[in-house]
Amino acid sequence: MTLEHWLRVWSYLPQLLQGLSVNLALLGGLLGVGFVLGVVIALLEVYGPTVLRVFAASYAWVFRSIPEILLLLLMWFGPAQFGLSISPFTAAVLALGLRSSAYQAEIFRGALQAIPMGQTLAARALGLSRLQAIRYILLPQAFRLSLAGWGNEFAVVLKDTTLAYAIGVVEVMRQARYIGSRDFPLTLPAYVLVAILFLVVTYAGLFVIGNMEKRLRIPGLEARR
Amino acid sequence: MALRRVVIAFVVFGVVAFVGGATEKFIVGTDASFAPFEWVSAKGEKIGFDLDVMRMIAVLEGYEIEIQDIAFDSIIPAVIAGKVDIGASGFTITAERAQVVDFSSPYWTSDQAVLVRADSGLNIVTALMPGRKVAAQRGTTGAFWVEDNLISKGVAVELVLYETYPEAIMDLLAGRVDAVVQDQAPSEQAVRQYSGQIIIAGVIKTNEQFGFLVAKGDPKRILPRIERGIQKLKETGAWDNLIAAYFGNPLEAVEAAWEACIDILQVGKDPVAYAACLAQKVQELRK
Repeated sequence: MTLEHWLRVWSYLPQLLQGLSVNLALLGGLLGVGFVLGVVIALLEVYGPTVLRVFAASYAWVFRSIPEILLLLLMWFGPAQFGLSISPFTAAVLALGLRSSAYQAEIFRGALQAIPMGQTLAARALGLSRLQAIRYILLPQAFRLSLAGWGNEFAVVLKDTTLAYAIGVVEVMRQARYIGSRDFPLTLPAYVLVAILFLVVTYAGLFVIGNMEKRLRIPGLEARR
Repeated sequence: MALRRVVIAFVVFGVVAFVGGATEKFIVGTDASFAPFEWVSAKGEKIGFDLDVMRMIAVLEGYEIEIQDIAFDSIIPAVIAGKVDIGASGFTITAERAQVVDFSSPYWTSDQAVLVRADSGLNIVTALMPGRKVAAQRGTTGAFWVEDNLISKGVAVELVLYETYPEAIMDLLAGRVDAVVQDQAPSEQAVRQYSGQIIIAGVIKTNEQFGFLVAKGDPKRILPRIERGIQKLKETGAWDNLIAAYFGNPLEAVEAAWEACIDILQVGKDPVAYAACLAQKVQELRK
């Protein structure tokens, strides 16, 4: 590895950025899937009748147990056995999204349970139905409380998107390997450049989430300090 | 409404688009990290000998292809699962693989090269002695050769497997392995690019035959069309031109020639003129 290699790798930046855009699309998809399912699972775990509570707990157990790479392979090869054809990208979004939903569910569950019981009682006393109490009193607070944990989940799943290359999604890791296969001495410099890109994206994402935490804070209601 | 704002804030990163729809189209699975058989150009195009053969046959036989890039050891599973129709990735025809997929007749013959560091002083015998660390790419015939002809026969080398070939070379340079076993053409590519640092200690005459592969029983009847296509390419001389263009030349020259000529194939639908253009342009650009 000479200085010339480290300089030459920069000419591949557009190719890597194009790969990174696929990671970001994956991230958006999987966080979306994970968020919607995660909220539902968390609500079932906390407020659902026993049957649903068991279901939700099992769901969280299953998707927190299976390694991501295995989930990806199962999601890609599995449906094909039944004649269902899904693209590698869709399979990756689903596999990583389901996994993320289990973790997000735990984040939201923790936040929901952190809200004092008295609030529910007060809401009901004011004439709100159980659903209304969840909708207007509990969830808005729980979301605020879960932002810190959610930021952590963001940082974790962002990196998980690089696993999608195993099932044929051409994301940034795959692009880095293309560069190495075309130009062998650039293998390591390309990896280092990808690492730098992830540093930047993670910093930007956490910055946005941190700002969101500040902006959404309700004076007097933030976690005690 | 506070809740809605929070929800929107949460899903701010976007929504996914799903794709569907197709005509008569076959999906070609390849691991685009095996120049000059398949790689990705500086402009992001998937090019290489295998892929051009696939494109040319598709034109001759009147179907469309979509080239999908997959990790090498996932291609055969993908063909079996029906996710991919054709495997075109420098596959050596082996009895083991032939049990689970069907191969075309051989289109290329390759031997295995043994790469060592230039300053190591190793030759093909000393590089593969007991106790040596020998690297290969996972799932390749280089790895199988080390297992079958060294380890199984009591020559206790330590086989170290890598996901990609460039990573194996990197560890060779770092001194963590003593030799890398890989097909000859990509090995020559590596020596060209790491000039002076690595050399080919020797070539193992494995006389391996490369074939394109499809699902067992060829349910979509693709193999006869591939055979017919290869036949036509050979008869017209396009085959020889393609070989002249792809092997033994710097990748930059091949990429530039490909850019210049590819429209003849994809727009003009003329494989013969395309191959002639490619061979000629590569020769010009080499100078």
